[in-house]
Amino acid sequence: MNDMRILERDVDTNTIKIAARGVQVYYGDNHAIKDVDVDIQDKTVTAFIGPSGCGKSTFLRCLNRMNDTIDICRVQGDIHIDGEDIYDKRVDPVQLRAKVGMVFQKPNPFPKSIYDNVAYGPRIHGLAKNKAELDEIVENALRRAAIWNEVKDRLTAPGTGLSGGQQQRLCIARAVATEPEVLLMDEPCSALDPIATAQVEELIDELRQNYSVVIVTHSMQQAARVSQKTAFFHLGNLVEYGETGNIFTNPEDPRTESYITGRIG
Amino acid sequence: MTDATTSSLPSATPVSGKGSLMQQDARTRKRNAAETRFKAYGIAAITIGMLMLLVLVYNIVSRGTGAFQQTFVTLEVALPAEKLDKNGTRNLDDIKKVSTFGYTPLLRDAFEAKVADKSIETELSGKEMAGILSAGAAAQLRDFVLADPTVIGSTVAFEFLASSRVDGYLKSRVSRDSIANDKNISAEQLDFVDQLTASGAIEKRFNLAFITGADSSDARPEAAGMGVSMMGSLFMMLVVLALALPIGVAASIYLEEFAPKNWLTDIIEVNISNLAAVPSIVFGILGLAVFINYMHLPTSAPLVGGLVLTLMTLPTIIISTRASLKAVPPSIRDAALGVGASKMQSVFHHVLPLAAPGILTGTIIGLAQALGETAPLLLIGMVGFIASNPPDSIASGLLDPNSAMPAQIYEWAKRADPAFYERAWGGIIILLLFLVTMNTIAVILRRRFERRW
Repeated sequence: MNDMRILERDVDTNTIKIAARGVQVYYGDNHAIKDVDVDIQDKTVTAFIGPSGCGKSTFLRCLNRMNDTIDICRVQGDIHIDGEDIYDKRVDPVQLRAKVGMVFQKPNPFPKSIYDNVAYGPRIHGLAKNKAELDEIVENALRRAAIWNEVKDRLTAPGTGLSGGQQQRLCIARAVATEPEVLLMDEPCSALDPIATAQVEELIDELRQNYSVVIVTHSMQQAARVSQKTAFFHLGNLVEYGETGNIFTNPEDPRTESYITGRIG
Repeated sequence: MTDATTSSLPSATPVSGKGSLMQQDARTRKRNAAETRFKAYGIAAITIGMLMLLVLVYNIVSRGTGAFQQTFVTLEVALPAEKLDKNGTRNLDDIKKVSTFGYTPLLRDAFEAKVADKSIETELSGKEMAGILSAGAAAQLRDFVLADPTVIGSTVAFEFLASSRVDGYLKSRVSRDSIANDKNISAEQLDFVDQLTASGAIEKRFNLAFITGADSSDARPEAAGMGVSMMGSLFMMLVVLALALPIGVAASIYLEEFAPKNWLTDIIEVNISNLAAVPSIVFGILGLAVFINYMHLPTSAPLVGGLVLTLMTLPTIIISTRASLKAVPPSIRDAALGVGASKMQSVFHHVLPLAAPGILTGTIIGLAQALGETAPLLLIGMVGFIASNPPDSIASGLLDPNSAMPAQIYEWAKRADPAFYERAWGGIIILLLFLVTMNTIAVILRRRFERRW
């Protein structure tokens, strides 16, 4: 059933948004990512799958330099976004993160109002000239995150008072409010129930029209449902990367096949 | 398996491998007994603690409340012009020439008039009768006249402080037996006090001067008050708050959020913890060496006291601030960084507001600790004897010699007269009220601003 949906979907662009070459990541002495090369396309959902501890989240966090906040973490190799080396000395990670938004595993709204949660990014980046513009940005972001109808009457209520699924969609709204070009999602549904998961997945599919979305997931079904490209990580190596349909129906590497069929992981 | 229509439960089956649930086996009994014993230890420990607290509070209250009451003698004193202003010019300089010795006879006359008026029988001379008043009574009279010379020639009703012996007699601290060898008061004077009390001229009531007034000399315990030392403590706390809070919070934020983790920051961290455990007297001697001997700041000044207490409070504030910064979940920092906030924005917009209640609580607890600190103050001479009443004595605030509440209490406890002893307990009540208030504010703040995420 899932395969049918995958076949229906076409990858409609071939523009490369993110290009990684020879990426190595070390946590102290631990070699967490080994020589990863990958090209991530624009306006595409790319899923990273693999067993726990395989480095998929680590690699994701390299893409917006969130690993910089971890003292013992070292990144080598080249990661280019739109042809620019994001680890160049001249790149300010703060500017990079405005361009590459992130949604985390656990919903983490600020303990502020729903409005302030979404408005925070636009405010610090100066995206709105006045209150009316800011209101519009907030409304658009909440609409795009498919949560506007649920919260429009209580924008001043605290974001932490929402349910888990609503909180995660609020975090997505917060991420899209800063108008990023790439959206990184680190297991966005792992803390959600099946209904909330379905809502978020539907949302990811819609976000694809405007953004390049990279999603890390534990669930192979989820990867199959939402992504066009899939990368399989194992023990820090990128084992296989290709069209989602091919990876799931016709994997080339025996390790991928073992994982997909449930023999490892 | 059970039939829905069956209403009775199946009967008990014979004892199988695990034994019946109706009887405790030996192991369970032992475990339950151990649990009961442990609970009993806990209850016993709490009971002992509460009893100690009760004994402490009872002692302090029963001994200290006396200090808040003072015995006053009401007298109508005639202020004759021929004695106070011989020239009749009401010239202030002339009136000032009359010393307190010139006023003492007026008190004797007032007593004699009182005795005649109330028809009290006594063998005491006017001088002996006036002996039941505080030694400061004549000065009080003189100050009143100098403040308003027009009262000369009239008769004015005054309330004088009774001497500490009389006050003690009314508070049952002094008895006829205890004064057998006391030259300050005689049994006849006590009889006279009884008679005056019966006629309503002597009464014991609330004494605001104990809370607002200045310290007094050894001879006049009845006039001593906490007011000036309270101001001294207040000035010191202002210095501590103005220095320790910003320095402590800035240091904590830097160490916790920005500083690289290396051997240098490790050493700093260990030493902050060590400083928190350094005895306060060490800070006192440091303050003496650095602030007074080297920097030549004035001794006994609240500024120096505040600086020393700042040194002492800083580790407490840094440790509690770092703890509350640590308690802010990393997901909040990630969230802020994830939308493109800079490190500083994430700290000041999100982490610090969440840590604020913890920081405030730590600061208030640190201040409360500093408020009760005595040892370092003794070393830097914050035990000034300030006998003039507040507005004059603290005019230049931070640089005027002053005392502090705990140092004042220590001073009183040191003096020989038991009347000061009572005041020391009274001072402890005031100090404890301040501490309890501050801690209550800390608890309320914590409850009020506690947030969940």
